Amino acid sequence: MTGPGFLDIISFGPDGWGPALAAGAWMTILIAIAGFAIGGVIGTFGAWAKISGGPLLCSLAEAYTTILRGIPDLLVIYLFYFGGSAVVTAVGQLFGAEGFVSFPGFLAGALAVGITSGAQQTEVYRGAFRAVHPGEVEAATACGMGRLLKFRRITAPLTLRYALPGLGNVWQVVLKESALVSVTGVVELLRQAQIGAGSTSRPFDFFFIAAMIYLAISTVSGLVLQVTERRFSRGVRRG
Amino acid sequence: MSAAVTAPVAIRVHDLHKSFGPLEVLKGVSLDAREGEVISILGSSGSGKSTLLRCINMLEVPNSGTIEVAGEAIRLKTLSDGRSRPADQKQVDRIRSELGMVFQSFNLWSHKTVLENVIEAPVHVLKRPRAEAVEEAEALLAKVGIADKRNHYPSHLSGGQQQRAAIARALAMRPKAMLFDEPTSALDPELVGEVLRVMRGLAEEGRTMLVVTHEMGFARDVSSRVVFVHKGTIEEEGPPHEVFTRSKSERFRQFIKS
Repeated sequence: MTGPGFLDIISFGPDGWGPALAAGAWMTILIAIAGFAIGGVIGTFGAWAKISGGPLLCSLAEAYTTILRGIPDLLVIYLFYFGGSAVVTAVGQLFGAEGFVSFPGFLAGALAVGITSGAQQTEVYRGAFRAVHPGEVEAATACGMGRLLKFRRITAPLTLRYALPGLGNVWQVVLKESALVSVTGVVELLRQAQIGAGSTSRPFDFFFIAAMIYLAISTVSGLVLQVTERRFSRGVRRG
Repeated sequence: MSAAVTAPVAIRVHDLHKSFGPLEVLKGVSLDAREGEVISILGSSGSGKSTLLRCINMLEVPNSGTIEVAGEAIRLKTLSDGRSRPADQKQVDRIRSELGMVFQSFNLWSHKTVLENVIEAPVHVLKRPRAEAVEEAEALLAKVGIADKRNHYPSHLSGGQQQRAAIARALAMRPKAMLFDEPTSALDPELVGEVLRVMRGLAEEGRTMLVVTHEMGFARDVSSRVVFVHKGTIEEEGPPHEVFTRSKSERFRQFIKS
């Protein structure tokens, strides 16, 4: 009996790997979105701390971005996975559980990706905020807008407009970083491709397909980003 | 056009001091603006005239002194390091919403159309119904002569049009007084006239206006009172026909000659 052909691998038929690969791709997207969103929240606070926080907050944010940008992302994932597992195991023992309790891989991965992209997003937002014309913010102050209203209606949309190109880069990085999460046993696209490669002796086919799927995801998200960018830069004088 | 001396005081500034670090910009300035008065604040650059205006709506927080708007004093507190801060931010925000400010560099919100700029604060700060705010905004844009630009973004407007849009934005708050901070200084000379015409119209409506300006013509012909600020104090003050013809201040005579 010969091994499956290329079309069998990608098919959704009884012997096909289609459903498994699709599920893996979906998991990749979920990890990336969760990581990017967590990073967005961290980045917003980080940028705020750097721009208008006190000296303590500011140096904390500085330490955070310096450390996170200075250590390998894979190591951050290990730290979260094993660190988280150690905590969960300790808590488990309190309640009478025995042995090693593993931290959910998806959560560890999303947190790790989130915290590394948070460092990048902090810098993106901070740089973008500096590009906002201070007079526009002052005009909002002068007509009696409170802090939150001013942030929501004026500062955030103006900052986002300058942040979007940088955020696009961060998103592509996050998407690729999600592959590292496979080390925690989460079956995302790359892990699924490895499983397929291992059980059919057609490694190239599987990794090639995985590459194509990654490319498809990043192309589509790139287009979405372009549309968003155009929407947010309405009113920007060009050239 | 001079406001009755008996009109209620719209803005009262008393013994205002303001320093930036070691530099004392305002050294005890007092000024009353009665309802319907148009006060031109003149002075060379660095005299403190813009700082005076910006203290009135707390864009700069004075070190000491009092500001009253329509009889209500803005409450300040002194921090441990000697700086002062508004004691009640909500009060400051409310008073700011009652004062229309027009800036030298227009400061329209670049991500919003002209119409959106004008209705933004009425809808979100004053919580007026949107339809009502739009209707009023359109009337104001017609009044300042840019009704046809309502759906344009600020970057597609000339400086004069942007400044007129900014005036409409300030008027949309139905302010008790208007503060103009060198409204024509950033404009090309040929665009100054259209903005001054709008301001003259507002003065004729009887609006209370404080105008920091270099436009001598406006100060002389439109304002009911002229205030000359020099080195952080008021050096000369009075009705334009008096101060422009027989000022006792040598410095003011020098200033208007140059």
